[in-house]
Amino acid sequence: MIQRLYINNFRCLENFELTFRGERSSLLIGKNGAGKSTVCSALKVLQKIARGTNRIRDLVTQNDFSRGRSDVPMRFELEVVVEEITYLYSLALEFPKDFKELRIFEESLVVNGKPIYTRNVERVRLARSGKELEANFLIDWHLVALPVVQAATNKDPIANFRNWLAKMLILRPIPSLITGDAIGETLQPNDDLSDLGGWFTGIMALSPSSYMEVDQYLKQVMPDIQDVQNRPTGGEAKSLLVRFATKQGKTEFPFSALSDGEKCYMICALVLAAHRAYGPFFCFWDEPDNHLALSEVGHFVLTLRKAFKESGQFLATSHNPEAIRRFSDENTILLDRRSHLEPTLVRRLADLDMSGSAVEALLRGELTV
Amino acid sequence: MILPEDAANAEIANGFLLGGVPATNYGKIQILPEAGGWSAAVDRFCNNEAAAMRKFDQRAMILLLDFDNDSGRLAHIKGRIPVDLSNRVFILGVKSEPEGLKRALNEHLEQLGSIMARDCRSPKAGIWEHELLIHNLSEINRLKAGSWDSLIFT
Repeated sequence: MIQRLYINNFRCLENFELTFRGERSSLLIGKNGAGKSTVCSALKVLQKIARGTNRIRDLVTQNDFSRGRSDVPMRFELEVVVEEITYLYSLALEFPKDFKELRIFEESLVVNGKPIYTRNVERVRLARSGKELEANFLIDWHLVALPVVQAATNKDPIANFRNWLAKMLILRPIPSLITGDAIGETLQPNDDLSDLGGWFTGIMALSPSSYMEVDQYLKQVMPDIQDVQNRPTGGEAKSLLVRFATKQGKTEFPFSALSDGEKCYMICALVLAAHRAYGPFFCFWDEPDNHLALSEVGHFVLTLRKAFKESGQFLATSHNPEAIRRFSDENTILLDRRSHLEPTLVRRLADLDMSGSAVEALLRGELTV
Repeated sequence: MILPEDAANAEIANGFLLGGVPATNYGKIQILPEAGGWSAAVDRFCNNEAAAMRKFDQRAMILLLDFDNDSGRLAHIKGRIPVDLSNRVFILGVKSEPEGLKRALNEHLEQLGSIMARDCRSPKAGIWEHELLIHNLSEINRLKAGSWDSLIFT
């Protein structure tokens, strides 16, 4: 569970700190340009590192410095608690004069207050306990160490943290890109979910019984659905097919023919199934209410919140009044930015001097930090 | 349908659904936008929702209001509910206001809603016996006596 996310000098996030007080689900709100999607991008940088991308130029560029301020390090810090162990990962990047890409300035992973490794530019110090000796080595200063430090065992804290971070679901679906066709399978879908077919295949291969979760949810929101089939189309390729049945008869469509909102139902169903199959995990969904009918938004948001009520963590962004109403002042976080020359400010609604409805205050443009 | 008078009551309703209602039943329950005060909620019910309830005869309505320590309010509101709908309309709320219950029990409103849902199903009335909620027991028992209870919870 994320306890704290600290970001400095990354796009509009300067000295930005997002803390959670044990809330299983939270909502980020704020005007366009306030920084909600930038939080998503920052998490994406960390997720990409854990999934094996370690060349800095593939993660951030000099254009990502806040207002071009490349003389100050860009910093990411993430504090999470996984199975009662606290992990603090820190990464600072700098852009020395005459360099063509950023390099690592500092990097560390601290577990329950004890450093696992610390790094200064190219020098890495690997702390070990027990029989193993401490190690010092050099690494290319354009490469992040986290993906390449060898874990001693599967239960090694480095492996645990990396797995947790890689398993994070970051969702910014683009329904028009979601065809339901796939070659192979994955449990780590892209944020645009263009590989939804592969994700479906991966979840069902890992845990066939999780189809019950998919079936139960889809029948709730589309009562005439019969089932979802994942038909082989040649070689390792498969394609999702959705079948419907009513008293009048039966019909079937390729997944790509579903509406954008119906594709979002399937994404929700897969989040529920994935959480059951290989959760708990952290899930960030940028505007989950996009494409949904107004009457469905509240149910959709509450279903996701309920799925993460006992384990894992759900963070969403929204501009939709109905989605905002399904959260409370304690778990709704306002991001506010007075101008493009100023950084994003952050405050919980419960900590604001506000009376009445947050939705109406947002509508009137009165909600500021 | 749940018609909360304000954001605080809406938070309780959210917690009620999150805490005790199976997600598979969410499609049967809709929390309407806040009415903006208890009298606005009653007006909205009488002027708009009542006609819709006659059209949809399986629909029930919970008005979630503050009683503001006004002992005559429940009777006053019941007097305004059309007789032909009275068995499908339930009036619930904190004796004073939700913030009072929040202070008394030191829990967030959502969590209070979840506890209320849990204790609806419990053999003991639990939180519903709190002095700020106990006046709701007759309405809770009326809800349980009808088919609404199983519609919401099972």
